[in-house]
Amino acid sequence: METLLQTLLNGAASGGVYALVALGYTLIFSVLGVINFAQGALFSLGGYLTYLLLGGKIGVNGALPGWGLPIGLPFWLALLLAALGSGAIGLLVERIAFAPLRRRGAEPLLSLITSLGAGVVLVNLLQLLMGAEGYAFPQGAAGLAHLPESLLLGGARIRTIQVLLLAISALAVASLSLWLDKSRSGKAMRAVAEDPTTATLLGINSEAVVRLAFLLSGMLAGLGGGLIGMSVSLAGPYFGISYGLKGLAVLVLGGLGSVPGAIVGGLVMGLAEALIPSQASGWRDALAFAILFAVLVLRPSGLLGRRQLEKV
Amino acid sequence: MSSSTKTEAGPWLELRQISRQFGGLQALSEVSFQVEEGEIFGLIGPNGAGKTTLFNLLSGVTPASSGTIHWRGQAMQGLSPDRHNRLGIARTFQNLRLFTGLSVLDNVLVALHRQPQGSGLDALLNSSRFQRRQSELRQRAMQLLEELGLADQAHRQASGLAYGDRRRLEIARALATAPALLLLDEPAAGMNPREKEQLCELLAVLRQRHQLTLVVIEHHVPLLIQLCQRLAVLDFGRLIALGTPEQIQRDPRVIEAYLGGSR
Repeated sequence: METLLQTLLNGAASGGVYALVALGYTLIFSVLGVINFAQGALFSLGGYLTYLLLGGKIGVNGALPGWGLPIGLPFWLALLLAALGSGAIGLLVERIAFAPLRRRGAEPLLSLITSLGAGVVLVNLLQLLMGAEGYAFPQGAAGLAHLPESLLLGGARIRTIQVLLLAISALAVASLSLWLDKSRSGKAMRAVAEDPTTATLLGINSEAVVRLAFLLSGMLAGLGGGLIGMSVSLAGPYFGISYGLKGLAVLVLGGLGSVPGAIVGGLVMGLAEALIPSQASGWRDALAFAILFAVLVLRPSGLLGRRQLEKV
Repeated sequence: MSSSTKTEAGPWLELRQISRQFGGLQALSEVSFQVEEGEIFGLIGPNGAGKTTLFNLLSGVTPASSGTIHWRGQAMQGLSPDRHNRLGIARTFQNLRLFTGLSVLDNVLVALHRQPQGSGLDALLNSSRFQRRQSELRQRAMQLLEELGLADQAHRQASGLAYGDRRRLEIARALATAPALLLLDEPAAGMNPREKEQLCELLAVLRQRHQLTLVVIEHHVPLLIQLCQRLAVLDFGRLIALGTPEQIQRDPRVIEAYLGGSR
């Protein structure tokens, strides 16, 4: 029997991951005013990298069946490295799909197509290397083996991994917000987001800020993929795409370009989904997009998106 | 800091045969002049004369269609705006471009990139060295705000400032990049006569204290005559006069351009 507390925690945990994805979109949207459609593919990549770093083996349909790392890394290190890996590929996506268009002063909308293309290539590469099958993470992966399978919290049994997932995404979101708010490079990023021309005239290298946004955004997606892989499983190379779409919905729900909006939007979405009884779980996505629809009718700029739209 | 490296021969800032077209519009044609180190140089001309275009060229926002700009012995063509700024050229804007989402203090802090930053690792570990650097940067920013009379508003949102204060914040922010050449685009626009008077005094003080060379665009000619050693007059993208304020005031071409003879 699932208690309300369990439900809420599950909702918050998946909401946290949605917020990670949406924040990834937000960073790039604020500095370039475009959506990076490769975000879902980077999410998949993070999941697969985490799987491999934890010591998982490539399945029979992959390019190198049975291949895997000789040792599994502790989960926190695997997540960190997988996030960095996705961040690095995010930078590559920027080089290939965004930078050439920007250099030619092309219409920003065109990068929707190029980034979608980059995402499709990435997912297909994953499929080539890892096969189309789903993967369950290695049982008792290093570092997790010491932890109990579930915790007793306020009379409810809660999977340890859910708590961990919530804690890690909360930590990532909090440090990102703190960084944007307090650090100089974070302030530089907000300056570029507000007015790129003026920012460069003050000596801020806006290209470096853009690269940083892609690195961080890729890392957020990769971390999300790793966390979902650990808590659920990898349902094939395309599994990140649906999270990418959900993140996009959260982005619009919270308000384009708003950091608090992405966080609140993620939590609203996650909690709403969790409150759907399991018998009706087929309606989850329908509910998510119904909420989005309702919010957009009532508040066209999203939950917390007011200021951004006024600016434009 | 690069202030020790200005031993090059030749003029300090030199524009040679600068032209700029926008489609069929000739915004600037074959403009040449020099600015000496330490002077206050005024740019006047009717609306559409090409003054702001000239600032855009000098700050690297738009490239010249032809001609060259040399700054302390270096050719500036093809350098990005942030390179221009790092080489010591800063500017303000006619239509204010503050970061309205940031606080007054943060507007200045963002521009303090000439100061050493400390590594990202220091920041991550929040080491004592990093904290010391942070407080030094804040002090430096507060000092600039103080000079511009904005210290008591440091923690307000920039969007909440009064008009004249916003103009002064733009100057503080430009000064934070430690420029040698400061381009001021209508710094007195929208100010009342008293504020204009104060601005004049302030600019003279700032030039001394920060060893600045100033190039000032201003519609309010009496202010420029009081402030500048030399003036250049643009009309329809051409340089029609160049000289001391006295010479300019007597120049028949200037009088014609301003009083609109036979156009």
